[in-house]
Amino acid sequence: MKRLITFAATTALLVGGCGGSSGDKTAVTKSGAGVTTTSVDRVLLAKDCSTTSFAAATKPVRITYWHSQSQSNLTELQHITTEFNTSQSDVFVTLQDQGGADETLTKYKNVAGTSDAPDLLQLNETSLQTMIDSKAIIPAQACIDATKADLSDVLPRVHDYYTVAGATWAMPFNVSQPVLLFNKTAFRNAGLDPEKPPTDFATLSQIAAVLKSKGGVKFGFQYKRDSWVLEQFLALAGEPYVDHNNGRSGRAATAVFDTPVAVKVLTSLQSLVKQGIATTNAADGPEGFSNLIGICNGDNAMTIDSSAVLATAYDTLAKGQCKVKVDVGVAPLPLPSGANLGGTLVGGGANFIARPAVGDTASPKVLAAFKFAQYLTTAKIQAEWAAGTGYIPISKGAASEPALTAVWAAKPGYKVAYDELANGVQNTATAEPLIGAYKDVRTAMKTALESLFLDKVDPKRVLQLAIAGANKAISDYNAANQ
Amino acid sequence: MRASTVRLLARYAVLTALAALIIFPIYITIVNSLMRPAALANGPAWWPSHPTFSNYTAAWTDARMGRYLFNTTVVTVAITSMQVVTAVLGGYAFAFLMFPLRRVMFVVYLATLMIPGEVTIIQNVATIRSFGWYNSYAALIVPFVATGFGAFLLRQSFLTVPRDLHDAATLDGYGHWRFLWRVVVPISRPAIGAMALFAFLGAWNQYLWPLLVTADDRYRTVQIGLKQLRGQNLSNVTVVFAGTVLAFLPIALLLLAFSKQLVRGLTAGAVKG
Amino acid sequence: MRSRSLGANGMASRSHSRARREATLAYIMLGPSLLIFGVFVFFPFVKNFTYPFYSQSTAAGFGAFGGAAKSKWVGWSQWHAVLTSRDFWHSAWVTFQFVVLTVPVGIGLGLFLAVVAHQRLRGITIFRTIFSSTVASSAAVASTIFFSLVGTESGLWKLRIHGHGVLDDKTWALPAIALVAVWQSLGLSFIVMSSGLQSIPDDLLEAARVDGAGSLRRFWKVTFPLLSPTMFFAFVVGSISAFKTFAEIDLLDPIGKETGGTSLLAYQVKRLAFDGESRTGQAAIFAVGLFVIVLLLTVVQMRLERRVHYAR
Repeated sequence: MKRLITFAATTALLVGGCGGSSGDKTAVTKSGAGVTTTSVDRVLLAKDCSTTSFAAATKPVRITYWHSQSQSNLTELQHITTEFNTSQSDVFVTLQDQGGADETLTKYKNVAGTSDAPDLLQLNETSLQTMIDSKAIIPAQACIDATKADLSDVLPRVHDYYTVAGATWAMPFNVSQPVLLFNKTAFRNAGLDPEKPPTDFATLSQIAAVLKSKGGVKFGFQYKRDSWVLEQFLALAGEPYVDHNNGRSGRAATAVFDTPVAVKVLTSLQSLVKQGIATTNAADGPEGFSNLIGICNGDNAMTIDSSAVLATAYDTLAKGQCKVKVDVGVAPLPLPSGANLGGTLVGGGANFIARPAVGDTASPKVLAAFKFAQYLTTAKIQAEWAAGTGYIPISKGAASEPALTAVWAAKPGYKVAYDELANGVQNTATAEPLIGAYKDVRTAMKTALESLFLDKVDPKRVLQLAIAGANKAISDYNAANQ
Repeated sequence: MRASTVRLLARYAVLTALAALIIFPIYITIVNSLMRPAALANGPAWWPSHPTFSNYTAAWTDARMGRYLFNTTVVTVAITSMQVVTAVLGGYAFAFLMFPLRRVMFVVYLATLMIPGEVTIIQNVATIRSFGWYNSYAALIVPFVATGFGAFLLRQSFLTVPRDLHDAATLDGYGHWRFLWRVVVPISRPAIGAMALFAFLGAWNQYLWPLLVTADDRYRTVQIGLKQLRGQNLSNVTVVFAGTVLAFLPIALLLLAFSKQLVRGLTAGAVKG
Repeated sequence: MRSRSLGANGMASRSHSRARREATLAYIMLGPSLLIFGVFVFFPFVKNFTYPFYSQSTAAGFGAFGGAAKSKWVGWSQWHAVLTSRDFWHSAWVTFQFVVLTVPVGIGLGLFLAVVAHQRLRGITIFRTIFSSTVASSAAVASTIFFSLVGTESGLWKLRIHGHGVLDDKTWALPAIALVAVWQSLGLSFIVMSSGLQSIPDDLLEAARVDGAGSLRRFWKVTFPLLSPTMFFAFVVGSISAFKTFAEIDLLDPIGKETGGTSLLAYQVKRLAFDGESRTGQAAIFAVGLFVIVLLLTVVQMRLERRVHYAR
């Protein structure tokens, strides 16, 4: 009970500018701009991750891992897990597919703290603040401290995203980047150079128009109405998404993405759709893959999607199920303006350690879950994972692993996403926003994008709508979690 | 051709056209569930030219439709049989017994029909959690073992049992249990059958509740399984077709076998006089 | 209703203990059901009305840990916020549109099929079986079939409107879902209408024919009025189930399911209560909205049913 209260205090203090009482695990410091930052008391935290109970436990310690990988990525995850289970005899991992990151979170809410709960769960990066506020996870920092684990091999930008109030809350695992996917065959048909995909919005529009008229496709470009992509465009322009330095120096209270760059991005995308050069599809649900299947069906020749779909896309092509000839090209996300002023955000997801059942204070499963999560960040595994999926390797060492370099040489498309992240600068705009009601903020943007593309509403108005929806979601969330 | 023959042919033509329109989605689903995925690259199949059952194997084992069907069967059979028992008892009490607060109890049963499940799910999921029943057969079955509607239906039917029979049974020294079991139930078998089939259909087709209280393959029902199946096979539409047929076929066969009860169960209360 | 209550005669002659035995027996028979109703119907129903008075913190939504997290009393503010919000009334309006799109069409088509199939012909049973076949489908089956046929890029034929899929079209998504719902319920509608039709005495129609009424006139003057109680029943029951539509939205994932043109009430209850941040207070108010609608329909049904009875 006491621990729960202290955690409540820890997280309550993340509210920017609110100040408040200090819990015994946290120390509050006022920084220059009147913004409250907190740090978690490491000594008390370490007790959550018991090395002694793990050492004393009967081996192997069996743990359940909830994930939501599918298709080619699932095959790769199963392979890696089997490798882990056979490589040592202390921990045995059982995989459970939950069908989607949202489903995983919904189901975890139902079983957290009961015997049906998993020991480790993979969630989207957007769940971070929610999970911190949930008090239903053990911060990875507890085990990092207890085992003096060294995470210096993890890419700093990735590690930083999951670091809040001085503690690492989750172990990064499946990190993806948005990429431009295109059909080189359609480029050739249209007399375009397939080695010169568009790098900015102006050329994207030109090329899409040529593809539409001469490339033998219904649409030159298909935009998946994903609010994630807009977040990425803003980050590329070096602009934050929410206030308080993207929620990093205090709890985010207001969305700030109604900038000239955002207007520009939305205006050019809308104009492509208005001219019939481009089409759009829903970002989630069954329509979520229409942009990719559309390439395979000859409906479009370019789209933007997560690098995590690469392996599945290549595998599908290999099965020969496409209606047109497809030669997949991969390019970095086109820049809203000529120059890269920031960098893409750390997308994808991470592994969170479940808090054991109430009263089970020294469960050996916490450390067991951490050991597996840590294994998943190692250079060898990250190389294998990246090569088999299209996610980017989050380990510095992975980039020189033969398993990965061979794939990068054979299919340069796999490396594009890695370079994107590596080329980005590290600042508040490229530190992914930390928002409590992230999913609702995205829903607000999604709804706004629907009116942009389907009702042809003015981009400025669209952004106002999105800001209003986002701010309401954020203020509801903050009020409930004060 | 005689005018009457033309009229007859026209009648058949209309009937056939309507039947084709209604059955078309099911037909095309079955046909394409028998095709190899690659065979659809040039468009849908209208006839299973080289049928294969590979999609069914994939749906049954890889997509776990077999397990989901098993779960649904367990849940549905349990709910149906328990609903029959509680409805027979409830119907009997309201038809043949005098007891204090009878009217109040009747209103209580009536009230359950007016409360849609959506109003109770928020707390019910919390209750299931607190019982530790989340993701279990108990969560899928227990909330549905009692039925206000079924009790009503059977009460109506029991009321038609001739009064003389009850008197005769009492004279023969029958107690209530014996009268219920030896006289009322056998006489009301058609009504009970109809009520059971109605309960069966309702349980088999449940969607929202199983979605909220199941988490994995061990307890997921076939209706929810369809969503899972589709999510995992976005590019393999033939497997989705096969899975859909697997979800549809058992109930279709069952209804063919019990079509009389079906009509009775579904129209109960609709047609009077 | 046949009033043949046992109470009037012989109650006084029964011995006191026998009455008590009977009461005990009755409660043994009703007990299990009453327990279930109490726990899973009445308690959650009453509790639902308390949710809107509290705001729930994130931690309160997490399983066994939730108990330690406090819910905050917020008075009527959530009621006020939701009942004055565009989202709530829009959702109610969309749901109403959906009911209007599905119920009359479904009943009309069912009646049409029933009339067409109501003739003595060789092989008519086959047609009747086919007409009632969709009763074996569920909302999930119907949605999956529709989706795989025309709803998706990987389906057999993708239905496009202005370049995007039909489920991704703000105008046509709701009618498309209504089509799925109508097809799925057609078998049931047909069965109900057929039984109604069969219960009309043939001599009535015969008499009308002898009087020289044409087939259309016979339908409007004899069949239709006699079928109206059946249609009314189908209308109320159909409306109640249409107001509660959930599975089609969940499976077809149409555009606007959050706050737009396909945001049906039942889906909102689930979405707000269980997806993303749990907003149980808001969800409970949407649920109350649904309850009020179902209640009104049930009351109307009971009223009219009573009238029908008295008329007989």
